[in-house]
This record gives sequence, structure tokens and C-alpha cells, in this order.
Amino acid sequence: MDKVEAISMPNSDAYRRVLNKTISQMLLDKGAVLASNQCLETLTQMMQSLLVEIGNSSHNYCELGGRTMPTVGDVNLALINMGINVGSLEAFSRRANVATIPLPAQQTQQRQLNLLQAGTKASHPHYVPSYFPPMPDPHTYIRTPTYRQPVTEYEAIRKKAASQKRDVEKALTKFLCKTSETNNLFPTEDNMFPLIACQSVFPAYMAALNPTDQVFDFEELEYHYLVANRTEDAPSKEDGEDGDSENEELDGHKSKEEKPELEIKPNSTTNKAILDNPNIDNPYLRAATLPKRSKHSDSNVSSRILSNRNGSACSTAITPTPSTLEITTNSV
Amino acid sequence: METQNDLPETPLRSFKLSHQVLSLTEISLEHRRIQGMVELTIVPNNDCLRIIRLNAKQLNIERVFLNDVCQAEFIYFDSFHNVCEMENRSLETYAKKHLMAAKITDPDLNNGELFIKVPPAGYAMIQAGLTLRIRIQFNFSNPKSGMHFVLRPPSASSSSAWKWAHMYTNCYENSSRLWFPCVDSYAAPCTWQLEFTVDKHFTAVSCGELVQVISSSDLSKKTFYYKLRTPVSAPNIALAVGPFEIYADPQITHEVTHFCLPGMLPWLKHTVQYLHGAFEFFEETLATRYPFASYKQVFVDELDRKISAYASMTIASVNLLHSKEIIDQTYSSRTKMARAVAEQFYGCFICPHRWSDTWLAKGVATYLCGLHSRQCFGNNPYREWVQLELSQVVKYEERYGGVILDCSQPVAAAAVPKFSHDHHQHHFPKESSHTVSPKYVKALRRKSHLVIRMLEHRIGQQMLFRVFNKQLALATNAAGTKIEAGLWSQLLISTNSFIKSIFTVTGSDMSLCMDQWVRTGGHVKFSVISVFNCKRNTIELDIRQDYIGKRGVRQYNGPLMVQLQELDGTFKHTLQIEDTLTRSVISCHSKSRRNKKKKIPLWTGEEIDMDLSAMDDSPVLWVRIDPEMILLRDLIVEQPDFQWQYQLRHERDVTAQFQAIRALERYATSATRSALEDTIENECCFYRVRCEAAHCLTKVANQMVDSWSGPPPMLDIFIKMFGSLQAPHIVRLNDFSNFQLYYLQKAIPVAMAGLRTLHGICPPDVVRFLLDLIKYNENSQNPYSDSYYRAALVTALGDTLSPGYQSLTTDSSSSISTDPKLVLSAVTRFLRGEHHLPSYKYMVLVACLKVIRRLQKLGHLPSLPHIFRSYSQYRSYLDLRLSAMECLVDLVQVHESGEDLEHLMHLLETDPDPAARYGLVQLLIDNPPFTRDSSNRLDQAELSERIWRNMNSLSRNTKLRCYMVDLYYELYVNERPNFWFPNMNHIMEDSSNSNSENEFVENGTKICGNPRTSIFEVSDNQLMKMEEENQQEEFQKTIKFAEIDSMKWVPSDNQAMDLQEKEKIAETEEQGYDYETEVDENSFPISDNYHKYDETYEVAKKKDWTKHKHQIDSYNHKNHKYKEDKERQQSYPPFLRL
Repeated sequence: MDKVEAISMPNSDAYRRVLNKTISQMLLDKGAVLASNQCLETLTQMMQSLLVEIGNSSHNYCELGGRTMPTVGDVNLALINMGINVGSLEAFSRRANVATIPLPAQQTQQRQLNLLQAGTKASHPHYVPSYFPPMPDPHTYIRTPTYRQPVTEYEAIRKKAASQKRDVEKALTKFLCKTSETNNLFPTEDNMFPLIACQSVFPAYMAALNPTDQVFDFEELEYHYLVANRTEDAPSKEDGEDGDSENEELDGHKSKEEKPELEIKPNSTTNKAILDNPNIDNPYLRAATLPKRSKHSDSNVSSRILSNRNGSACSTAITPTPSTLEITTNSV
Repeated sequence: METQNDLPETPLRSFKLSHQVLSLTEISLEHRRIQGMVELTIVPNNDCLRIIRLNAKQLNIERVFLNDVCQAEFIYFDSFHNVCEMENRSLETYAKKHLMAAKITDPDLNNGELFIKVPPAGYAMIQAGLTLRIRIQFNFSNPKSGMHFVLRPPSASSSSAWKWAHMYTNCYENSSRLWFPCVDSYAAPCTWQLEFTVDKHFTAVSCGELVQVISSSDLSKKTFYYKLRTPVSAPNIALAVGPFEIYADPQITHEVTHFCLPGMLPWLKHTVQYLHGAFEFFEETLATRYPFASYKQVFVDELDRKISAYASMTIASVNLLHSKEIIDQTYSSRTKMARAVAEQFYGCFICPHRWSDTWLAKGVATYLCGLHSRQCFGNNPYREWVQLELSQVVKYEERYGGVILDCSQPVAAAAVPKFSHDHHQHHFPKESSHTVSPKYVKALRRKSHLVIRMLEHRIGQQMLFRVFNKQLALATNAAGTKIEAGLWSQLLISTNSFIKSIFTVTGSDMSLCMDQWVRTGGHVKFSVISVFNCKRNTIELDIRQDYIGKRGVRQYNGPLMVQLQELDGTFKHTLQIEDTLTRSVISCHSKSRRNKKKKIPLWTGEEIDMDLSAMDDSPVLWVRIDPEMILLRDLIVEQPDFQWQYQLRHERDVTAQFQAIRALERYATSATRSALEDTIENECCFYRVRCEAAHCLTKVANQMVDSWSGPPPMLDIFIKMFGSLQAPHIVRLNDFSNFQLYYLQKAIPVAMAGLRTLHGICPPDVVRFLLDLIKYNENSQNPYSDSYYRAALVTALGDTLSPGYQSLTTDSSSSISTDPKLVLSAVTRFLRGEHHLPSYKYMVLVACLKVIRRLQKLGHLPSLPHIFRSYSQYRSYLDLRLSAMECLVDLVQVHESGEDLEHLMHLLETDPDPAARYGLVQLLIDNPPFTRDSSNRLDQAELSERIWRNMNSLSRNTKLRCYMVDLYYELYVNERPNFWFPNMNHIMEDSSNSNSENEFVENGTKICGNPRTSIFEVSDNQLMKMEEENQQEEFQKTIKFAEIDSMKWVPSDNQAMDLQEKEKIAETEEQGYDYETEVDENSFPISDNYHKYDETYEVAKKKDWTKHKHQIDSYNHKNHKYKEDKERQQSYPPFLRL
């Protein structure tokens, strides 16, 4: 008995559990002491199928009769049709020592929870037809800044912030210590105060001049600098442009034309600077001139020197491009 | 203005330089090799020019051509090689020989390292008045100085080999000879044409205008052509090659260009944003246009100075760059860059005529730069700076002797009183830039600035500007002419020409003033006592010059300004100083009337209320001597304490306030205390006075510790200024937008950390306060970085420490007491964080290292050097290295640890970064490991030999050589080391015979001896004899030596080397230059001198010492034992070691 009771019913709903109990009871009535799990399951399944079939055919008969609710007659017909003796049912129900199976505990109906309403729903704007669903709660589409109740105690906040900061720092440094080589302050193995060993990086000045201990958000801080530098910064850009704009326009145009053949790629820093500042007239921001492979040598000073030198790397004669011609004519 | 007539008579060079072409056709960064040629166009003065002397050092001269056709023979020698031999080790002798070596190659004396013999075929080319072209092809590799290569470490990834590599010239004074043959004198200006062929990734920045850049046909190389039309001298030529990022100045786009290493552009933009202001200022002040056509600023790594100016270009250290949020660096970066611009006018465009005239260029440039800083940063910092310069000059002169700005000319006897001469000689000759101590040069710059200020005072600022303007106008005019016009000498200034131009402009003769301050060294020192005579209502001033004859102090006769603040106003009196004691009686203008309440007028015109209750009968509130800092003087003024307090509270001049603060240290009273506290809190006061007052208050409070009541001094002030509103004991969120408060916030914690209780420990309140400051430090809302502030807090934390008595045997963390433990944990936390999130210039880490050293020194931690050693390695950041070295130097000084000294000496000799070497040697000079008087374990023969050897072998690196001389002086003064017992007679003979062993290379053949005389006069026999004598004597000495002090004897010196061996070494060294020698250069790496010395030593040992093998063995045995002892000692705790 105990055993039967103890059999757990996997994935059974309440009806099936009741059915199961019924079968067990019937088996007990019939004198069985023990039932295997499969057997019980099979019988339950059979019982369930039977009941479902009874129900189905009762329903069919009822529909056949043009009704929507089956009557006793429909059930009767169904039972008869399935070859079940209706009369024996009465004897079965009136048998001695009927053990009643308790009703399964009434499952408490889960009440539909009302969605939390935040704020009042807005009515539709006039151009939205009324059959559209109502507007959702305002918080879902309106960004409202929320302020936490300010903690009044300044000291407590500072303390908390400080200790948090310190904890983070401690944890981080501890982690860093464990992941990198360390120096010891003591000759023994005492490692209570390990120091991170000095690693050499190249170039050394890069890290030193680019401090990362604090990241400054320049856009946010721009205000501070703008106040001081407004007069300095603003005209500078214009100056660079309107200095001798026409010439530079021309120059810039020329250099643009030359660019493809001179192969300006931003790989070298010079070229990058040239590309960045196309309008600034500075001797260092001009592209390098190519030596011309033609024959006639120019008589400017530098080429004389060049030709004087034996076996130098670039002793080919030079014909300056327009920009350098200007310079050389000036210089001679 | 005929400047030439004023010049002292010297053997003039027999030619004039008119134009020079410098072309470096191959600059190989990986191999540190340069191939190039120069072409000097000269105009001979007479027809019989037979030998042309030029300067060239560490260069391998390949060929010399005259006018392209005629190949000439040449002789080359380096006089600084082996200046003074080992056995004659006194600085006096060394100084003489050193000076001689400098003179032998001094271009101003028509000398040089390179003698070009004009072949008979070339005689026809030399005609006075016609030009002659000398073309010299040369190459060199691995330069020891003069040119510096910064290369990527071999371990780094090879993908972008060129990315960080760069090179530049860093010549000390006139040392351009180290990278190209030239007339290395300021007095030989000429026009230039410069060509540099570099890899396509690189930019070559040099003097003059960039004319064009031409790519080679395969696009792998670029050639930069520069042209300098303004005549400048060779020492002003420089070059920098690297993958620079280019930034055209936004204000002066065409002319001014800035260069920096890749990745530094944003900082560059910020750092140079005010540079145009300097140009405007100088052009306006001098009423002269900037003399060159362009200006370039290159920021490079590993520069040994902060900045150095050359003609139309400046090479600056990358460490000057900073970003927007850094406050402190801004001032020094801007000042340095402005000074470089000022040096363009004076120093590059207008050159000193010779070494003795450099003071003028240095002084004027510094003076102009000072005026610019005054315009930018205000009058108070300017006056403070002048005061600082003055005190530094005084300090230097009292330590080392008077600085003579122009030593070329003796003083007119009448001009100077009898005691004015400073009898203390320097340990180095100051007549040449190649022998003078670099510290002296620094002091000289400061002093010359002060002398220019003095002139400004004498003739008026407007007049002085007019003098400058006239010089510049003449020079500009001369620069536009050709050499034939003979006007180029107007580009040079000398003391005499300067006096003369002052005379022509103003009509006043300054030669007396010059004799007093320029041609004589030393400063004056006054002791002043004032006594009030009640009856006569006068002040009796006793001005005494008691210190005359002491080092650096001289007598002064002349006017002296005294400023009295009386009740009725400020009164100036000019007293005439005539003797060592001058007593003058000054009658007061106002009666004592302390009961009357009346406002007291100050010199500024303000009228203020004062609390006069502290006064006695005298109507004088305070006395100031020489308030404008006109004289080069040191003052000892005796005043009652209340006068000092009035001076501090009410005098408006910051220098007087500083003076008062310094004086008040001696008067620890509550009145002093309140005066100092009021100053700290006074917002109208100059911030540095306030910081200084804080430090002074620390000292005062420590003196009156038993009578002090209430909370620790300054705690309340700090809380009042920086505590948050709601919780005053918690510091406010950082906001450094008020710089005055920022500096104060940095200074007060450090000052407080110096406080001590009766028991000599820091009050626990202060320690807790500092720890809280660190804890609550919050910078997130601040537009500025708090690196400096945090570093100051760490330093303060270190300063709270006091010696630990109980923890003599610290070898584990458990034995540290509480307070040091707290400090240590804070420091270690900062230190760890710094590695991954560094602060600006590792500020905080630097401070941490120093605190760790302090913990060690005070016995809280075992004194282990390995941490500092690892930080002192090459490739760490320079500031870190220097601070680690400082700790090591301190370690050596305190614990006499030979190993660390060895480590430092090794760094000093071999480190690739010159900045670190110079920094280290200065540290050693300032904190010598031992002095001559004390007996010290480190005082060993080996060390003195090592330094001596460096003094002799650093022939190319003038600066380091001169520093080495300084170091030798610090350790052994002028005498020879204690353990050395020479035979004086021998020495005397030696020095007369073989006064310098210079190396000659005459087209491949080598001659030994003095270049001037012995090359032709000393016969072979004599030489042989000398060698023999030397050999025997040396050998005997060595054996004797080994017997005397085997404990101190470590076998790595070259005592046993005889002359032949020395020659051998020299020969191997010379091979770098000697192109015809057939020995493979690579067999002896030139960079490693000492290795070679050791090897030769081994050879010598085998050869000569076999007879005395048993002696050597016994010595070796002893030495071994000694080493063992030493090792055992190392395991003892620091205080138990010997």
C-alpha cells in the first residue's frame, strides 16, 4: 500500500493523479497487493484512453443530436457502442466498502495581476484614431530624470566613496601584483608588501608623458579651457586659411594634382601632416620632389654641388617642379 | 663701430671662412654611422698659407681636396686623449695639462686637431683675396658624444623599425667638431649650405631655410637641402633626424615649425601654443626683426639638457611636453622655450667672440628671457627668480670660489681695491670651454644675468635696449653683406665692444663697472647692524665686510642703497662703502609717536594701518639693504624680531618677505607664529611667500614645541581653506582652478609633515590627517591633474617618519611598527598602481621610491638596493632613473656599499643615455660617497684610478670629462689619494719630459709626443729613454703598492702597464680614425674601453709579473678572503655591518 502510494507520478496533472489513485484502489479491491510501475501506468493510460473515448463519442452523439451539451442518453449510447455493459455500472457503484478517493486539492485560481500602472495614461492625440490601442504608461516612452533622494549626510557619502575607491584600488593592485613580476622589500620570502617589478618599455617617455591615472573628458572640460583660450584658438584657424588664400588654393590644387604620382600615403608622418593640413604653407609640409630622369641639368646651386660630389647617392640631375622653381629663382 | 680694433691681439687665423657646405650623404641610424663631406670656402689672408688648421674629432678623415683637384696631406691628433698620466695624479698638474690640451686645439688660437698641409702643387691656388675650397670627405660611426642616436631596443618588434629611432646632435659649447670638420669657434661665422640624405620615413631638421626636398630615384631616400644666408658659426649648427610629426605653428605658419616624435602631437600642440608670444615680445623689446628666416623646434628623447638653441633651430627635450591638465610643467616649459628664442638673438645670431665673452650672450639671453617671463607670469615670480639666481651664485662662489665672467683680460689695477682678488683657485682652468666645470658654466650664466641687470640699473632699461638694438641693427646689416665687405665681425660681441657700444649710445663709461664685476670674481658679503640713537633721532648703520678673503668673497667699494621704512614713509639713502667697516648715521624723518593712530605710507603709495604696539622708541619699522638686488651680494642683516615681523607683514616686495621669513626662523616666539600664520592665510600675498611661510612655521613650531598649545600648527588653516563645508575634517573635492590655492594645498601637508613632538616623532594627529588626505583625495571633478599633489602627499607621508629604534633586525614585515607600516602600505599601493596607470612623469612613483629609501635609512626596512637598481636601468623613464640613482647614491654614502658604487660607476661609464650619466655624476658630486678626511671603506685605489682613467680617456665627451674632474676634486681635493706614496722627484722629471702623450696620425703613420715641440724636436733616443724610465718606475711602484695595501687592491687597474702597453691601447682606440691601418676594427669594439684595459692588464701581468708570482698569489689569496668577508657581512643587518 505504502509502496503504491509512494510511486511518484512524473509529469502528471491532477486528473491523472486522481485516475492513478482510482486504479490503485481498484487493484486493491481486486486483491492485488503490489503493482509494478509499468503496470500501473499502463492501466492508467488505458483508463484514460477509455474515458477520453467515452467522452469523445458522447460528444459526437450529442452533436449528432443537434445539441451542444451531451445528455445521459448520449453517454449511454456511447457506452453501448463501445460494448460496455451499462447495467453493470450500477452494481459497481453500489459495491461494498467503497473507498472514496479524496478530491484533489482545489487549485487556487491564480488571480490575474493588474499591471502596475505608473502615472496616468495619456489619451490619444487627435490624429490617432480611437481604435488604436491605448497609449502605454508614460514611463515607457517619456524620459524623466529621476533623482534619488539625496543622502543628506555629506560625510557618510565621502567616506563611502573613499572606501569604495580604496577597495577597488586595493583589489586592482593586488591583482596586478599577482599577475606580474614582483620585487620584494625584504631579504626573506616575506611577501606582505610586494612591489611590482620595474618593466622597461620603449619608448619610456610615452607612458610618462601620457598619464593614464585619470582620464580627462575633454569635451566636458572644454568649458574650463575655452574661457581661457577662446581668444587664442579661434582666430588661429582663420589665420591659417585667409593668410594668402588664393595662392594656397592654387598650391593646394597643384599638390592635389601631384598627389597620385607622388604616391602620398599616410605611412610616413610627413605625408600624414601634408594630408592633414593641405592649406598651410610651410616648407616642411610640401611633398618631396622627384628627381627627373631627363637629361638637361639645371644650373642652380644645389645641383652643382651634387654633381661635384662623386659617388653620392642621388647625383642625378634635378629639374625642379613648379613649386621648387619658385624657391630657386628666389634664392639665386 | 670697429669691433675688430677692440679685440685683444692674438695670432689671427691666416684665412677667413666665407662659406661652408656640409653634406651628410649617408646617415645610418641602425649602424650609427655617418658618411659625409664638407667643403669650406676660405679666403687666405696672405700668400704663404702652408698649413690649414681645422677642428675635427672622432672623425675618420678620408680625403682632403683643395679646389677639387689637388689632394692634400693631413695630420690628425686628439690632444685630450690621455691628458695626464696615471702616476702623476694631482689635479693641479692635470689642470695645467688639460688647459694645454685645450689650447693646442683651440680654434681661436689658430689651432686645431686637423692640420692640412698644402702640397706644393696647391701653392698656386693660394692668393690672398681669392677663395680656396677645401673639401674633406669623412665618416664616423658610434660617436661617443656630439651626436646621439636613440634606437629601438633590439628586443622590440621589428615591424616598424624606424618608428621611434631618431638622432640629433648634442654638442656641449663649441663641439661641432665632433660631427663635422670645421673651424669650431664662435668667432668664425660664415654662410652655410646643408644637405642631409635620410631614409624616406625621416625628416632631417637643421639650421636655415629648407630649400627643397628631393627623393632619390627609387623613392627610398630623401635629401633635405638647407640654406643659411645669415652667417653663423659652426657651433651653432645642429641636426635632428627622425620620423617626426610636423606641426606648423598656427600663428606663424610659414616660418615656425615644431617637430615631435610620433604620437606626441597633441601635447606638442598644447605646449607650443604660446611660443608666438615670445617672438612678439622679443621683436618688440629689441625693436628688431627675428634674425633668421625660419625657426624650428624639435622635441627629442634622451637629450642631456632641457633645451639647447642653435641658429634658427632649437632641440628640446621631449620631457618639456605636457598636456592641458598639467599645471606645474607649463611654467618651466614656456620659460625654457622663450629662452631658446632669446638665444636666437644673442648667442646664435650675435655670437660671443671667444670663450671669455660667452657671458655676454648668456647673460643677455637670460635677461631677455627673464623680462619675457615677467610679462607672462608677473613681477613677483620674476623677483623671486632673481633672488634665487643671486643666492645660487653666492652659494656656488662660497663653495668653489669666485666666478670670473671674462678672464681673458687682467683688471686695471686702480679699479679694484687690494683685497678684492679671490685667492682661491678653482680646481680646473676656466680659460677654455673644454676644461671648465659644467657647474661653473651654470653659475656663470646666472652671474652674467645679474651683471646685465646691474647694467640695466646703471644706464636705464631704455638705454640698454637701445644698446641691444644698435648691436642687432649693425649685425643685421652686416649679415646681409658678403664676406668681402669685412663686416662680419659685427656679428660678434666681446666685453670690450660691449663697453664701447654702451659708451657710444649713452655716453657713460662702464669699464670700471666691468672691471669690478666682470673681470673679477666673487661677490660681496655685508653684515649690517642698525642701532637707533634716541637723542639725535638717528639710525646708526654698521656695514661690515668681515668675510673678505674667504672663498668667493671680495671687497666692495662704492655706493650701496639702503631703504628705511619709517612711520612717515619710505626713505632711500645711498651710502658710500669705502672700507671693510662703514659706519653711517642716517637721521630719521619721523619722530617716534606710537600712540598716534595714523596710516603709514609704503613705497608703493599705499597707506596702511599697522599695529605698532610691538615697537620700541625707534620710528624705523624695518631696514632693507640693496632692495633692488643690484649688487652681487650676500647679506647678514641684524634686526630685532618685531622689525622682521613688520617687514613680513607689510613690506610689499616679495624678496623682502622671503628675507624676513628666513630671518624669522631664529625667533621662535608667539608673535612670529602669528605673523607667519597671517601670511599663510593672507590671500593678497604671493603664493610662494605663503608656501615658504608654511615651511618656516614648521621650524618655528618645532623650536617652541613645549609651549605650543592647541592643535598642530597649520591644521586649522588647512581645514579652513580646503576642508569641505559640511564636514570640515574631510578635504574638499580637488579643484585646482585657483593656482595659488593649488600650490598652497601642495605645500602645507609637506610642511606639516616636518612637525615633531618633544620626543622627536611626528604628532599622531598629523599622521592621521595626512592619511585622511590621501584617503579622501578625489580628483574626478577637477579639470587638472593631481599628480603633483599626490606626489607631495606621498613625500609628506615619508617625512613624518622618524628613526625606528626597535627594528634593527628588520627582515620581515612583521617587525615594522605601526606608523611606518601604514606609510609603507600606502606607498606600496601607490607604487603598484603607478605601473599600470602612471601619473605624469611617474611623479608619484618617484616620490614612492624616495619614501622607500627613507624607510630603509631610518631602519624600518632592510637596506636592499635591488629595487633601486632595477629602476636605474636604461630604458626606464629618466626621472625614475634619476631618483633611483639618488637613492643608490644615498645608500652608498650611508652604508659604504662597494657593490652599489661599482654599479653606479658602471652606469656612469657605459650608460647610453647621456642625460642619465650627467644626472648621476652631478648626484655623486653633490653627495660624494666619502670625503678625503674621513676614513672610508670605499676610499680605494681602484676607484681613484678609475676616475682618473676616465678623466684621461673621455677625450670626446667634454662635459662628462669635466664632471669627472669635479668628482675627483670632491673625493680627493687637489691632492693625491691617501694611499698613494709617490716619489716626488720622479714625478717632477716626468712632468717635464713627457708632458702629454698625444697621438698623431699623419696619413696613417703615428707619432708620439707633444705635438708642438716633440714632433720635430724630441729625438728617438730620448723617447726610448723616457719609456724605459717610466717602465721601471711604474713597475716598482706597482709592486710596492700591492704590498702596502692588499686589502684595498682589486686587480682591474692598469698600474702595471708600461708605456708600450698604453700605446697599444691608444692605438686600438685610434683605429676608429685611421683608415689605412689594416687591423680589423671589429676585433676591438671601441665602445668598451675598460674591457681592453683589462685585457692589456692581463698581458702585462703575464709578461712582467712572472718573477713575483708568489707575491701576486698571496695577494690574490688575501683578496679572495676579503671578498668572502664582505659577502658574509652583506648578510648582516645594515647597522651591524662594518
